[in-house]
Amino acid sequence: MTCDSLGDGAADFPALLRQQGLLQPVAPTLSCRGGGAREEFTPTQATTILAFKFTGGVLVAGDRRATAGNTVVYDRADKVLEIDRHSLMAIAGVPATAWEMARVLEHSLQYFRRTQLQEMSVDGKVRALSKLLRDNFGFVVQGIGIVVPIFATYDFAGDGQARLYFYDAMGAQFEVTDYAATGSGSPAVRGVLFYENRWGKKPLHKLREEEAVTVALRALDTAAEADTATGGVDRNARIFPLLKIISRDGIKTLSEKKIAARFKSTVA
Amino acid sequence: MIEEPYRWVEAIANRREYIETQLASGSPIAALSYRDGILFLTVGRARQKVFEIYDRIALGAIGHPGDIERLRMAAIELASTEGFTRSAADVSLRRLAFYSLSPLLKTAFEQIYGAPFLARMIFAEVGATAAEDLYLRVEYDGVITANGPTVKTQPPRFCAISGTARATERMEKFLTREHDPDCTLKRATKIALDAWSAGSLSAGEETSEEVPAQEALAQHRAQELQTATVEAAVLERSGPSALRYRPITGEELDELTAA
Repeated sequence: MTCDSLGDGAADFPALLRQQGLLQPVAPTLSCRGGGAREEFTPTQATTILAFKFTGGVLVAGDRRATAGNTVVYDRADKVLEIDRHSLMAIAGVPATAWEMARVLEHSLQYFRRTQLQEMSVDGKVRALSKLLRDNFGFVVQGIGIVVPIFATYDFAGDGQARLYFYDAMGAQFEVTDYAATGSGSPAVRGVLFYENRWGKKPLHKLREEEAVTVALRALDTAAEADTATGGVDRNARIFPLLKIISRDGIKTLSEKKIAARFKSTVA
Repeated sequence: MIEEPYRWVEAIANRREYIETQLASGSPIAALSYRDGILFLTVGRARQKVFEIYDRIALGAIGHPGDIERLRMAAIELASTEGFTRSAADVSLRRLAFYSLSPLLKTAFEQIYGAPFLARMIFAEVGATAAEDLYLRVEYDGVITANGPTVKTQPPRFCAISGTARATERMEKFLTREHDPDCTLKRATKIALDAWSAGSLSAGEETSEEVPAQEALAQHRAQELQTATVEAAVLERSGPSALRYRPITGEELDELTAA
């Protein structure tokens, strides 16, 4: 067994995995487009996630569809992933890479807390995801591994407020005050959220939980209307978007029943 | 010289004596099942002695801080890589202790030109029911004593360690008499504090193996707590998250330890 964790970067879990050959090395940033590949490879992609702050914390929502080109691969994909007790990562992009990234991030944060006996700071968590995206950039350039996540968490050490970030594929993080949306359906979602925030009955951060759920469902429905890669709500199969809320008390997953009822009364 | 067998045996015996002396002043640690999980409790002055290892596994250790740290890191590394490459369900305390830690400890202990690990540890893994809780006492020489599903008849749902064998024996005697795995956390805290007192009281004065009277325990504890503090943590049996380890601090601890 190996136990040389007291060397450099004692709490860096990805480094530990690489050292043991359990995580792929950082992808080379070489383009193979137009060169090597004989046939165009179309990776599976997951689409349209959104998050915004409301009175009860942050609501993070994702549709359930995964596509490859214009084929629907899966219609029950989970794109809103729990990273720790107070952090959620929502993913748009290639699920294979994104799920792996979420797994590494989750274990990195746990590993840090367990070995260092303290919670990683919010800035540290945000940077950890940024670094994973940066390490993945080689695959993005090759056109096979793009991931554009949203990260939401609760800052206990700082101002005791919910914090919300979105990323670009290279790993730059952008903190937002109100809302964030990424994925193929995001232009429509951003339109809806901007409109609601500016001209709606009240701004997003003043919404109660039920109202927030309605806005999220309407936004995803709007995105699905024009974007084939966004699942929206499948009325026949009764497939609803995945909605989770982060508050001071932790993460809450809204039940399908509750979402269905809300959908029926305010969206459908 | 050391090649002669009896010299080796003698060297090992000396080493054992040395380690026992080093460990003798360690503050006892009690771990026991209660209705909703496993409680770890000890009393200490400065450094933390109860640690989270993985989702359902915790560690309580006495000994040299440097050695505890190396073993703790090794355990976390092993559990984390296993949990990452396979799944959290594949991380098992039994495998971690028997297949990885025990050989490591034994090797270090018997290589008499190298330094042994000065550590005595309790590992516990919380199960779905108290009957599935697993306790392992891991010694500096790699010997493991198991309390849990391995024992067929009436397995004890607790584990205790302290500086000396006699003190540990007292704690076990006390726990056998008093402990009920279906009790509340409040009751478990009381039992664990008394068990700690029984172990701590007898550590100094090697009198008998009998458990001191309740008043003597309370008096000893009151005295000790003037300069030390209670450290407690639980592994919860169920919860919304996979993470079951939770340190008990602040108001909650005050409330639980209040008479």
